[in-house]
Amino acid sequence: MSFRVKVFLSITATVVVAVWIVAAVVSTLVTRSFERRDGERTAALVSQFRREFDRRGAEVARRIDAIANSEAIQRMAVNLGGSEPDANRYFDQAQALAREQSLNFLDLVGPDGRIISSAEWPARFGYQESWLTEQANWKSAGTFLKREDLADGSALGLITVRTLKAGERTLYIAGGLELDKDFLDSLPSVEAMRVQLVRNFEPLPPPESLGSKLTAALVEAVRKQPREVTRTGTQASITALPLLGRDQQLLAILLVESSRAELASLKNYIQGTAWTVGGGGVLLGLMLSLWTASRVTRPLRELTASVREVAGGNWNARATVESSDEVGQLARNFNQMTQQLAEQRDRMIQAERVAAWRELARRLAHELKNPLFPLQLTVENLQRARDASPEQFDEVFRESTTTLLAELDNLKTIIGRFSDFAKMPAPHLEPVDLNQTARDVVKLFDAQIHAPGRPPVEVRFDTQDNLATVRADPDQIRRALRNLILNALDAMPNGGTLAIRTESLNGAGQGKVALEISDTGEGLTPEECERLFTPYYTTKQHGTGLGLAIVQSVVSDHKGTITVHSQPGKGTTFRIELNA
Amino acid sequence: MKLRAWAWLALSSLGPLWCATRPHYGGALAVDLSTAFNTLEPAELPPLLWPAIAETLVRVNARGEVEPLLAASWQRESEGKRWRFSLRPKVTFHDGEPMTATSVAPVLLAALKKTYADVTVTAGSQTLVVQSDHPMRDLLSELANPSAAIVRKTEANTFIGTGPFRVANWEPGRRLTLAAFEDYWGGRPYLDSVVINLTSTRANADLFDIPFASPRRIVPEATRTWSSSPRELVALVAAGIDAPVWQGLALSIDRAPVVDVLTQKRGQAAFGLLPQWLSGYAFLFQASPDLTHARQLIASARPAPLTLTYAPNDSFARAVADRIALNARDAGIAIRPAPGANGNLRLVRWQLDSADAFAELTRLAGFAGAPERASSLDPSRPETLYEAERALLDTNRVLPLVYLPLVYGLAPRVHNVERNDAFNLHLENLWVDP
Repeated sequence: MSFRVKVFLSITATVVVAVWIVAAVVSTLVTRSFERRDGERTAALVSQFRREFDRRGAEVARRIDAIANSEAIQRMAVNLGGSEPDANRYFDQAQALAREQSLNFLDLVGPDGRIISSAEWPARFGYQESWLTEQANWKSAGTFLKREDLADGSALGLITVRTLKAGERTLYIAGGLELDKDFLDSLPSVEAMRVQLVRNFEPLPPPESLGSKLTAALVEAVRKQPREVTRTGTQASITALPLLGRDQQLLAILLVESSRAELASLKNYIQGTAWTVGGGGVLLGLMLSLWTASRVTRPLRELTASVREVAGGNWNARATVESSDEVGQLARNFNQMTQQLAEQRDRMIQAERVAAWRELARRLAHELKNPLFPLQLTVENLQRARDASPEQFDEVFRESTTTLLAELDNLKTIIGRFSDFAKMPAPHLEPVDLNQTARDVVKLFDAQIHAPGRPPVEVRFDTQDNLATVRADPDQIRRALRNLILNALDAMPNGGTLAIRTESLNGAGQGKVALEISDTGEGLTPEECERLFTPYYTTKQHGTGLGLAIVQSVVSDHKGTITVHSQPGKGTTFRIELNA
Repeated sequence: MKLRAWAWLALSSLGPLWCATRPHYGGALAVDLSTAFNTLEPAELPPLLWPAIAETLVRVNARGEVEPLLAASWQRESEGKRWRFSLRPKVTFHDGEPMTATSVAPVLLAALKKTYADVTVTAGSQTLVVQSDHPMRDLLSELANPSAAIVRKTEANTFIGTGPFRVANWEPGRRLTLAAFEDYWGGRPYLDSVVINLTSTRANADLFDIPFASPRRIVPEATRTWSSSPRELVALVAAGIDAPVWQGLALSIDRAPVVDVLTQKRGQAAFGLLPQWLSGYAFLFQASPDLTHARQLIASARPAPLTLTYAPNDSFARAVADRIALNARDAGIAIRPAPGANGNLRLVRWQLDSADAFAELTRLAGFAGAPERASSLDPSRPETLYEAERALLDTNRVLPLVYLPLVYGLAPRVHNVERNDAFNLHLENLWVDP
């Protein structure tokens, strides 16, 4: 991971975490504040409902009192208290009285508990309302909730009962107002709050009509256990207030629903802001990382590039020193180091050149000294022969000249080798079948391999069929293979196995062909392996030390690689990889 | 002396009584009617008014019997295919024109053609012959209907009758003033005039109707009232109701509260179609509600909700319908009362205009959609009337509920009122204190 990415991630993470924490804290505080305000508003609305309930109850009581004191009821009481009471004639009295007093319900009930007149359900005259006669003092009962049966269903009524003496008998006046939508509409309107009244008698409202699953669950909970319950959902907070009747039965449930849309909106705003700030943080992190990178990592990158250049051989590469901080110090040190390295390299090159010249001189002296010494002896022998025995001079001359010519050929050969190494021509590339080339080269050594008296050498080919051809100069490849095979045979004076393997390289090295030449000779030490391709280095008694150098030069000119694997006593393997 | 003194004292004490009960000529009778009408055609007028203006050849008397009116007598010939009527002499229309057979015949023909398509009316000097190819068993009943009243229509589109009162002033839909017809063949009526205010809901006139409908008149306690014999049948009519449901519904209905409360005891519970005064055997159909049995029948039938329709703006019908729905609900039947005429059940108010039980039952059978149930009716065999009525009830198409009379409130100054349960109230018999 680059320094720039690290800086970017650090800044971004810092900003995002900070924003998240702030957003979470603000969101929590807002939620708590909203819930506190929501609770206060709900309590206020419930309180208002109770006040309105009491106010209407008082109003109902006042109206029922007015009815009880009305002339019509007084006359009715007189009639019913008389000797020939006729309740039938008052069967529609309640409707007129209810209309006068704007009551939704009014039942005039006789001493026997039978309805004389009913405003809300006129057809119920004569039906029994025994609950009225079960209590003596209705004045103390106040106003209460009661389910009122109607022709087309039921309603919830806020009921007051008054009694009136009709002679020895008692006349009951029960009436009230419906606790309906109008009642709820009379409550003060509070923004984002909704009041709903759910009746708890047949027909029960279907759950889907209650608005939400939360509401339905709340209603069900209150039905099971009538008590005030508040539940909070994602969309709303709902408080359910059980409304009980005179004998504590659950008649209705008041639902005060407070919408949390505002809170959700606020949270969304906070979240949106957090996202925006977070996004800004990421952007800022990116910019800061870029800026930091430009200020901090650019010198480092330049230094890295300089290091790469040095590693690539450009010892003159230098890092730019722009600051006096640690990075600047590092650049200065780097420049100092590379300067020292360059100086050391120059000195080493100088030394290597001197060493090379010395080695060349030594090799030349050694190579030339061998044929020169016989030349010197032969010439001295000619001089002695002419002086000592002129009669034999001609014969000596003939033998000496023959020797001189042979040694001069030898000198010529030595010089030719050096000349060849010095002027390796540029390869002329064409498709070359390494399998066939290897077989052709091995064939050149047949006579040497099967020479009489030579310990047997087994030649083993382990070549891959359909081997890809390589782009190479066939003459140079043959020359390199000749040197390797000659070395291998030289390494096995006591016989052994010469193995030649080829293979196509797939995968990472796709498009390459490998060729290995192995012997089962004495093998080489690691030190020998390291110096093996050094020109003029040889392990053989009469070698020039140029064979493997030439091989490496050929392979290198073909953009290939050559490696050697050897273990003392187990033989040596040269592996050449060329591009297909 | 002592005896004579006592006798004188006794006679002098009877004096005021005599004066109080002696008919008094003159004066105007103020009548308030809750309904309105815009024509003076007899068939469109209330039962109280049309006989005062127009008369028929025959009428139904207080005992429900047919008696002569403009026809002095009649003869039934050829098994009822021909009827010969002798017109009452010296009868004149309100404009002074004498009533003759020639003037009566076209009116009669137009009225009877509605019932008897092939009827012919032949006018003699003072006789009318009504003839048809088929027996006209209900002819007298038809002739007693207001649609057969003998009237002449003037160019001013008013009707001139022969009744005891003539039209003195007519403000359509508002007020009708009648004046005594001095030349009435039955003698001048006691009253000089009758002023009828329409669509009035007051209860302080000399005479006012107390309808079983809207607008309901607030009648003060101890108001003197007069009730006719049952003139209306309130019944449920249905078609396509399963027998168990119908029977359950019939058993669930308690008629007594309807009579006691909704009719204020002026009506009568109806178990048969024809009232007692018309058939003489109505008591045979009497039954009591049986809610338990009704519930059993309904529980097995599991009926779908029914709709009970009634005439719009008829508060009495609505109240009865609501009560029936309540009774039915107790038995397990869901009935929804609604104004209209297309319900599974219909609440009808059937006018019992005819004094002929056979004719009335025939009409009822036709109305109930079972005219075949009246095909066996034979006036010569009274038992066929009961059999036909029973058969009609068994069709489960009509369920009688209550009979309603005509009810009028009367001021104390109004005298000579017919006895209760009479067929009608006759204005010509009334007189008022000055």
